Amino acid sequence: MPPPQARDKLAFLLALVPWLLDHDRVSVAEAAAHFQVSEDDIRTSVALVALSGVPGSTSTYQHEDLFDIDWDAFENDDEIAITQHVAIDDAPRLSAREAAALIAGLQYLQSLPENADRANLRALVEKLSHGASAQPSQLAVSGDAESVLLTTVRRAVAEKRRLRFAYLNSRGEREERDVDPLRVESIDADWYLRGWCYLRQALRTFRFDRMSGVELTELPIEHDAAEILLPDTLFEPSEEDLEVTIEAAPEVIGLLADYIPDGALTTQVGERIRTTLRVSHYHGLKRLIAGMPGTVQVVAPEQARRAVAEWASAGLARYA
Amino acid sequence: MTTSAAAAPAPVPVEDRLFSLVLALVATESGLTKAEILSSVRGYAQRFVAGGDNANLERQFERDKDDIRELGVPLETIEPLGEPGDNHNLRYRIPKGAYDLPDDVRFTSDEVALLNLAAMVWREGSLSAESRRALTKLRALGIAADEPVLGYAPRLRLRDAAFDPLTQAIDRGQVVRFPYLKPGETRARERVVIPLALVQYDGRWHLSAEDLATGKGKTFLLRRIVGKVTSGRAAPQRPGDHTARALAELEEVWQRGIAELEVRAGSDAALRLAHRRGTEEIAPDVVRVHFVDLAILADELAGFGPEVLVLSPPALRDAVIERLTTTTGDHA
Repeated sequence: MPPPQARDKLAFLLALVPWLLDHDRVSVAEAAAHFQVSEDDIRTSVALVALSGVPGSTSTYQHEDLFDIDWDAFENDDEIAITQHVAIDDAPRLSAREAAALIAGLQYLQSLPENADRANLRALVEKLSHGASAQPSQLAVSGDAESVLLTTVRRAVAEKRRLRFAYLNSRGEREERDVDPLRVESIDADWYLRGWCYLRQALRTFRFDRMSGVELTELPIEHDAAEILLPDTLFEPSEEDLEVTIEAAPEVIGLLADYIPDGALTTQVGERIRTTLRVSHYHGLKRLIAGMPGTVQVVAPEQARRAVAEWASAGLARYA
Repeated sequence: MTTSAAAAPAPVPVEDRLFSLVLALVATESGLTKAEILSSVRGYAQRFVAGGDNANLERQFERDKDDIRELGVPLETIEPLGEPGDNHNLRYRIPKGAYDLPDDVRFTSDEVALLNLAAMVWREGSLSAESRRALTKLRALGIAADEPVLGYAPRLRLRDAAFDPLTQAIDRGQVVRFPYLKPGETRARERVVIPLALVQYDGRWHLSAEDLATGKGKTFLLRRIVGKVTSGRAAPQRPGDHTARALAELEEVWQRGIAELEVRAGSDAALRLAHRRGTEEIAPDVVRVHFVDLAILADELAGFGPEVLVLSPPALRDAVIERLTTTTGDHA
């Protein structure tokens, strides 16, 4: 997450003031918990607000034109009580883009089967539009979630029951898997289940579109999301990963970001960018590269180049 | 040096100056002139030189105004009566009624839980920052969310660099120019359009726009905008619900776009294509799929190598053959 910019800090100050006015006296800890910021952020911001105000009739800042707080309570008890306020006392409106970001997020949620009949989503969208200072930006998301599978997997997560399914890995092997489902994630139109795999005895990520014969068992899960730290990235690098050198057109580098390890050396070669990809095996690599024709080229190792060439020419042979 | 440093006032942090400016402009009924603001509001006043050159400070004020407006704060400019175009006597203010969140915009804790989830949908890019800021503002209302929805993190990716400049241009009503690589062409061509809406369909972002020269409606794929988006002059107004229209048009294209494919039984291709929305098995190991963009489907099918054979349409068949030939040649 990028560090807060001045604009974010200003939005925070404008939100903090009315909240504090609604609470006669509140602890720094409580304010920090409510706004999900550090206690130091609260102390710094309260100190700033307490010394702020408006230039009065004399164009200078006089005491009666300034905010004031109970300084004893603030300094001795870590408590905040605004004793005098100026100019603002209500929550600020949302900007057109802020409202649009939440609305588009809601549209995405609405496209998911379990939310389809949540009438309050529509009412919520209307309220957000009404709470914005300008018409929300023209943004929309149309989802097409895989409803049957998603409903089953979601139920397994909610009821903490083990799932059993056939999984086709990218090597083309089909295996029966028993999985404790921990979290469902989607990225764009692709859905993933993250869970504890009994076969591999490890945390694994499964693509929905490679699962079949999904069965919701009566077995309770043995691994809980609370016990296992789920990393934020979908694909966990492993020691057995293979490194491949590629050259790609600059505009497609972003599409490969998941495979480029942190700190990978990147150099410019003519109009192309040379960098390193990390893949678990060449079976996945050949599909990835053949799906981005003309824009990415494997440079080394030779074995990886050959895997891609053989895959593509086998495809071509079908048209011969 | 030590002496002058001691004499100079401590610099005022940016957020302090912006906060002071908002307070001053909300507090004034009749508005303040730029000279009044620069000479009295904290953060400017310390650097203001009476009767001197305050050009830097004036530019600072212009940027601050933009920052405040971007935040959704309705900062107004009032022209003095009878003196249109007189920049020196423009007055600035923030009307309290337009600043405050309307009284009927209040949320239940169930709704706040949903809003938190909606904000989490954006895990990267500017919409993530925008939605986090919206949540901060709404926290001013003091409602705590219900229990967070665990085990669930739907998210949308935003890796298209064109997204930010395009949304900004749409909001500001500006014409944009960008290089676009049309499917099937090898060189990007410069486009000049009126941007109308951004919609995500089938997991991809599309720009709905009007071609400035021909007045025709056009849809562009964001990932095919291969260079910088520059925004220019004000665009003519185009009112209407462009998002709904754009989504309906894409749905229509998708309905019309049909391909028939032979797939190898039990393969990755067979399984993944079967999971696509709208896929039908029309004969053993033959499926009919829908698509919006032929070039993108061709890329996808080329990735399946020998697991798929395109039966129709011929243009798709040719496109896949061309791609496989390119990949073979590149790795020979």
